Amino acid sequence: MKLATRRRLSALGVLAPPLLWTLLFMFVPYAIMFTYSFYRKEFPIFIPDFQFGNYLQLIQDSQYYTVFFRTLKIAAAVAVAAVALAYPLAYFLVFKIRSPSLRAALYMAVIVPLWVSYLLRAYTWKTILGSEGVLNSFLVWSGILEGPTDLLLYNQFAVVLTLTYIFIPFVVMPVYTALEKIPRNLIEASQDLGVGPLRTFLGVTLPLSIPGILAGATFAFCLTFGDFVAPVLVGGPSGTMIANVIQSQFGIALNWPLGAALSIVVLIIVLSIISASDRLERAGRLNLG
Amino acid sequence: MKRRTAGWLYGSIVGLAIVAAGGASAVAGELNFLGWEGYADESFVKEFESATGCKVTATYVGSNDDFAPKLASGGGVYDIVSVSADTTGVLVAAGLVEPLDMSKIEHWNDIYELFRNAKGINRDGQVYGVPLTWGSIPLMYRTDKITEEPDSYAVLWDERYKGKIALWDDKSAIFNTARLLGYDNVYSLTDEQLEAVKQKLIEEKPLLRKYWSTAGELINLYASGEVWISNTWGGYQVAELQKQGIPVKEFLPKEKADGWADNWMIVKGSPNQDCAYQYINFTTSARGQCGISSVTGYSAANPVAAKACMTSEEFEAKHQDDIDYVDSLVMWEQPDRLDVYTNTWNAIKGAE
Repeated sequence: MKLATRRRLSALGVLAPPLLWTLLFMFVPYAIMFTYSFYRKEFPIFIPDFQFGNYLQLIQDSQYYTVFFRTLKIAAAVAVAAVALAYPLAYFLVFKIRSPSLRAALYMAVIVPLWVSYLLRAYTWKTILGSEGVLNSFLVWSGILEGPTDLLLYNQFAVVLTLTYIFIPFVVMPVYTALEKIPRNLIEASQDLGVGPLRTFLGVTLPLSIPGILAGATFAFCLTFGDFVAPVLVGGPSGTMIANVIQSQFGIALNWPLGAALSIVVLIIVLSIISASDRLERAGRLNLG
Repeated sequence: MKRRTAGWLYGSIVGLAIVAAGGASAVAGELNFLGWEGYADESFVKEFESATGCKVTATYVGSNDDFAPKLASGGGVYDIVSVSADTTGVLVAAGLVEPLDMSKIEHWNDIYELFRNAKGINRDGQVYGVPLTWGSIPLMYRTDKITEEPDSYAVLWDERYKGKIALWDDKSAIFNTARLLGYDNVYSLTDEQLEAVKQKLIEEKPLLRKYWSTAGELINLYASGEVWISNTWGGYQVAELQKQGIPVKEFLPKEKADGWADNWMIVKGSPNQDCAYQYINFTTSARGQCGISSVTGYSAANPVAAKACMTSEEFEAKHQDDIDYVDSLVMWEQPDRLDVYTNTWNAIKGAE
């Protein structure tokens, strides 16, 4: 056997498993879901068909708009809040901490919560925000509130808060990387030219870190868009998100065709947001080139 | 390194295949139960396991609507399900459960005739379910927080309890609200009636703290002071809360409460039929009926067994001597237009 052939074969051997994996566990399921989205609901379950009734139903029945719009709103709020909190943190780590070992330790401290179960962290917020929870007890004890408030838990605020907390590490990581890559001499040059710290930040640091912000915000947005656990745990009666509706179509409603159609719509929205953010990031990079 | 990665991947695929194969063909002598909390409680399951050698694994549901999707997704995971009589018909129609071999059912003739003859478990001369327990869906409230004794579903719309009300995440909310609005045809509502029910339930949303879905969740909501009033699975959560020292009380609203009867059904193609029949017979015997009844507080479907194992006070408190009590409830039935009801309930939950 020729050496080139043998190399090609061994490359194939290495690549085949991941390719097969992707094919089996990503493309095949998506194809199945796409097919299902044309099936027809018929009591008691559903039957194979090719029709657009499910997509039509999504357009005609206003309950789906309401939930889509709410999910977009919550996802946007989480993305903005997570960036607002993660950016100063990453900035502090990169520019203010001089000792590399301390920086590494603090960076780890941000990442470590990712090793704790999502559910456990969401449950923790229940005990903090509840009517008889830690925060309410403190507010009443300190005299800020006369009695405990119901406004902290089981509403959209609690969902945004919980998801922001959970997804902050996903924003810190890309922002940290973006800030770290900024050549220090650019900042020094700005300072040498007599520009103040605020204008240096706005004119040099912030624009150069935009790819990190975009990547982080996209992470937070897309992960929130598909979340269905937080609305169940800390959300209120009006906190249903799109993933909950999909779950109920595959569950309670036993309408897999409609659930599949909804999933396809979510997939399209998420993919277009990812590609838009990717394009924005490239455009930004070129401008600063 | 690369080769090692590849090997690891191959290893995982092989591992997954083994797991998948193991899941599909269950070992003999086990019983996988899918159903309501309390029907496979440690307190009596241990006894069953040592007597029969059948190992019981329990998975719980939060609503009758969970059965069909879990069974329809296939895989032969479950052998036996406990389903309320309004949902049994769907499982039969969808071919997800097996007709029963009545020669293997030991306590059939002791069970209340009303439940045995229920439409949901009989089809084309074949029987698909064995009644196990029955009860009501009353309202429950914190007696220390709500001092004025409520007597109607209307209390769930009372502004005074804003933010302290919870509602079961289940389409039965439509039945109750329809009765509150004065409709008698709760299982065959017209479009206009359903719309009125929907508006009424959407109007309630600002007053609600949470839609609850499992027994444990509701118990936690009461115990942590989040909720003062809600509907409940009669007898079960109230007992758990009283055990924790939370002052709660149940009542049947004047519009009549929902009534239900749960039935054992055997999943189509279950490889563990022997264990399934043994479990049905065990749980409908005196030991099983009282075991379940004392854990859940529900009434027993087999009054002969109940008479043998309950104290006379308990026998009376659980209305075992008077099946006419059932007439004071509105027994669940499968709505004529199940899909429309389900969709309406989803629309209510999704609304602002």
